[in-house]
Amino acid sequence: MNWRIASKIAWREMRSSSYRFLFVALAVAAGVGALTGVRGFSQSFRGMLLSEARTLMAGDLSTRMFALPNEEQFAALEDLASRGVTRTWVTETLSMASSASTPDPLLVSIKAVDPKVYPFYGNLRLEPALALREALTPESVALSEDLELRLGVPVGGTVRVGGQDFRVAAIVASEPDRMSGSLNVGLRLLMSREALDRTGLIRPGSRAAQRFLFKLSPQSPGVEEVRGILRKIFPEARVIDFRETHPSITRGLNRSTTFLSLVSLIALIVGALGVAMAMHAHIQQKMDSIAIMKSLGGRSGQILRIYLLQAMMLGLGGGLLGVAVGSGIQALFPALIAKYFHVRPDALFNPGAAVQGLAAGLLTTLLFTLPPLLSIRRIRPGIIFRREMPEARLPWRTRARESRAAWAAAGGMLLGLGGIAAWLSDSVRLGAWFAGGLVTSLIALTLVAWILLRSLRAFLRRSPWRIPAMVRHGMANLYRPGNQAEAVLVALGVGVMFTLTVYLVQRSLLETIVKSAPPGMPNVFLLDITEREREPLLELIQAQPGLAGKPQIVPSVAAKLSGVNGTPLEELRIEGWGRRWRSTRSVSWQEELPEHTTILQGQWWPKGAAEPMVSVAEETAKILNLSPGSRIEMLASGRTIQARVAAVHRTEAIRLGATNDFLFNASALAGLPTIYYGGVRMQPGGVVALQREAYRRFPTVTVVNVVDALEVIQEMVDQIALVVRFLSAFAIIAGAVILASSVAGTRFRRIREVVILKTLGGTRRRVARIFSVEFSILGLVAGVMGSVLATAFSAILLKELLDAEFRFDPLPNAIAVVLTAVIANSAGWLASFRILGQKPLEVLRDE
Amino acid sequence: MQPIIHVRGLTKTIDSGSHKVEILKGIDLDVPAGQFVAIMGQSGSGKSTLLGLLAGLDTPTSGTIILDGRDITGLEEDDLALLRGRTIGFVFQSYQLIPTLTAEENVLLPYELGGGNGADGVKRARELLGSVGLDDRRDHYPVQLSGGEQQRVALARAFMVKPPILMADEPTGNLDSANGRHILELLIELNRREGATLILVTHDRTLAGSASRLVTLSDGLIVSDELREPAVPA
Repeated sequence: MNWRIASKIAWREMRSSSYRFLFVALAVAAGVGALTGVRGFSQSFRGMLLSEARTLMAGDLSTRMFALPNEEQFAALEDLASRGVTRTWVTETLSMASSASTPDPLLVSIKAVDPKVYPFYGNLRLEPALALREALTPESVALSEDLELRLGVPVGGTVRVGGQDFRVAAIVASEPDRMSGSLNVGLRLLMSREALDRTGLIRPGSRAAQRFLFKLSPQSPGVEEVRGILRKIFPEARVIDFRETHPSITRGLNRSTTFLSLVSLIALIVGALGVAMAMHAHIQQKMDSIAIMKSLGGRSGQILRIYLLQAMMLGLGGGLLGVAVGSGIQALFPALIAKYFHVRPDALFNPGAAVQGLAAGLLTTLLFTLPPLLSIRRIRPGIIFRREMPEARLPWRTRARESRAAWAAAGGMLLGLGGIAAWLSDSVRLGAWFAGGLVTSLIALTLVAWILLRSLRAFLRRSPWRIPAMVRHGMANLYRPGNQAEAVLVALGVGVMFTLTVYLVQRSLLETIVKSAPPGMPNVFLLDITEREREPLLELIQAQPGLAGKPQIVPSVAAKLSGVNGTPLEELRIEGWGRRWRSTRSVSWQEELPEHTTILQGQWWPKGAAEPMVSVAEETAKILNLSPGSRIEMLASGRTIQARVAAVHRTEAIRLGATNDFLFNASALAGLPTIYYGGVRMQPGGVVALQREAYRRFPTVTVVNVVDALEVIQEMVDQIALVVRFLSAFAIIAGAVILASSVAGTRFRRIREVVILKTLGGTRRRVARIFSVEFSILGLVAGVMGSVLATAFSAILLKELLDAEFRFDPLPNAIAVVLTAVIANSAGWLASFRILGQKPLEVLRDE
Repeated sequence: MQPIIHVRGLTKTIDSGSHKVEILKGIDLDVPAGQFVAIMGQSGSGKSTLLGLLAGLDTPTSGTIILDGRDITGLEEDDLALLRGRTIGFVFQSYQLIPTLTAEENVLLPYELGGGNGADGVKRARELLGSVGLDDRRDHYPVQLSGGEQQRVALARAFMVKPPILMADEPTGNLDSANGRHILELLIELNRREGATLILVTHDRTLAGSASRLVTLSDGLIVSDELREPAVPA
């Protein structure tokens, strides 16, 4: 038998079982759809990043640092300008803004630009459509739409920042380099440099990102040369050019693509599991045909072709449908990130991703149909004669030979899955972990399903109570020949487990962040306090109702490490985290040992000590190889500070602003420009009053309510989690489709049952109830299994890998169980509602 | 002359774990080429099992079967299939047609399974369908044919590759007497034309009357083996 004949038989058989195969193709489509959607969007997005790199950066090159440039650096920039490299200066910082209608200030992300030059590339769109230089004057600003809403200020209204009033000239509709900047968490307030100067927010030591954008001209040096020059001018800055687009975006995109691809692969695997189940049932049903062909001289290999072709048709059909679904998903993604990016509509279909999704769909389907396909070899032609006799026990050698093939198939599947995962994630290690993890989950689920089904059956047989006939009948249906309840439970359980794990991990992580500010720790932080404001601000805080702890105000001086034990920093080999000491950082001084700080080595200095001394944080001391007696040298505001290491300390507290990696004594940093940072613990009800009062009297001091910041974090986590949940829901859909297909697979048996029940006087309603009991049990059991395993997995993930706390919460688990039962019922009924209408005589006559 | 079927010490035991059932208890049988043998016996006497073993559809517990000069007892599944495809034609009690193939495609199947793929095959299939009177039904699916018609398709299929041996297991068992008679006439007529060895399993004495040799099985053993003058079917 050649392939042509095999395909003819394959096609005819598929057509005769089209109802069942339709469901299976849908399950594959769910997985391929998710995969194509994620990868397609990612690839289109990367393509867009590349093609619009200059726009996304708003320049050809950019430098970013957290200190103001000095005069030498400005001179070097002037020199570059004379060679045709134009520049514009962008400052980004966080501060507070308020309006007449909203006296409570909001945390805003300020961006100050030169409206005559910015942006070099791309278009900053305003509404109403003004030119940027008309909108941004020393007296007027532009707001993002969300800020306009939160402040309740329309265009033409007044907003207050840094104690100064500004007229709102326009709303920012799109900002090309929104994602390329820093300190982007708050609501956007765009202003001119003159306006920023008016606010008085920027002083030496203030927390602000300084960004220079550069535009090359035909006369200027090339991008590589300019990049080299900029690196020399700003050794501490991050210099990037448009060719890299934005490394953090691409890195983030790569990571999330890998993660989401693997999530989609799970949905695909659940779909493939459905194909395997359907193929198994199909081959069982076609056993007679296979035996006839074998008795007519057909070899296993020839017959295998028919079913291999069917598996391929299913994989391909489901895959093509999935590609169509995937294109729909791709269209949904831009909406999720519309706040940050404007995605062109032409980036909505990606042929590469479609091919990839199709290939993964086909491969996974073929891998999972290996076991049922191999079972064809075991069908003996003799069954035509002796169906009613028990199958003879095969000699052990034959059994071993056949199980060898099954083990080889299992190994092949594992390797294949690992291979697909490695291909999708570009990492062999990740592929191996994925395959290993998945197999473990599947084994665990199968085991639990097996135990649960056996227990339920034992309960049914030995229950001391009288179970209502309807429930008993519904439960007994689970053990109907060919019902594949175990496989349905595994498939649906995988979906529930995965979706719920994602939810539980995400929620616990967020809770851990919230809880990481334990009682007594500051929950309100005050940034950019000047020497002059320090004492009155302290007084104001202490006078506030709702104060729950002693306020702390920490000085901060911008300084850069220049040498350790007489060796210049450049000659030291520092790697990893320690490299941050190559740039300007914030250091502090303290006369007394701060709270939550313990001395590990050496001794804290006596108050008023004249010798410059420093205490170094444990980790920094380890990286820089410092111990009591070592000497360090630092540069701050043009002055060299030399200090002896007096102690090594460890701090267990949340810090914001000033780090205390280097704590000097007061005399070491005396006379240097200083900014103060504060932290205070307030009762929840007192935070807003403090914010309002501090803002009224000290408008340039930024008050960060950690609860607000957590909201921002939550929003970001929620957005990512939404995408993941959306995709992992595909695994549930695939599971439900499999349930439907399994129900469709037992259609003839069900019809017969329905008919007999009806003949014996059963009403449609009664039959419907029996079926509902069966579907509900399947859903509830799958839900329980999924949530038990999800709880276990998230506990392991959180405790072992993410170092976070896990707390069992019955509510989400209960909701998951109920929802699964609802889904199972819907899927079951979708596949069997037509059965109820069967007329008994039609069926009985055909018997 | 070497018999086309040579059987020695054939046994078949089915072990279902808890108990063993001895179906055949040691059969010796030689069938010369061209003979028409009827195997008779009560239900459960082991006649269908014997036929299945002769055709290599199942493996014996012990004993030897030499088919057309080849010992088939040690052959692998696929080798047996190849041998069947070339050597044996089959007619089953319940027709055993592939439901998704048309009558003509069903007849062609053994030819195609053996690697055939040409106009010759189609020509022969049509000829055979013509000789069983189903010329106008060749594009019909099994479900569109009556029981007698389905068995006629099965007959045509059995002769498709001109096998030297034809095995028929209760070929009229599912048919009414008129149809059964017609099928038997066709079977004998086709067999005469094609010159094959015919092994017919039946419990119907009238049917067995057409055979030149009558082998009777009881409880897994041959209890009588007689050569006789065949009666012409009425």
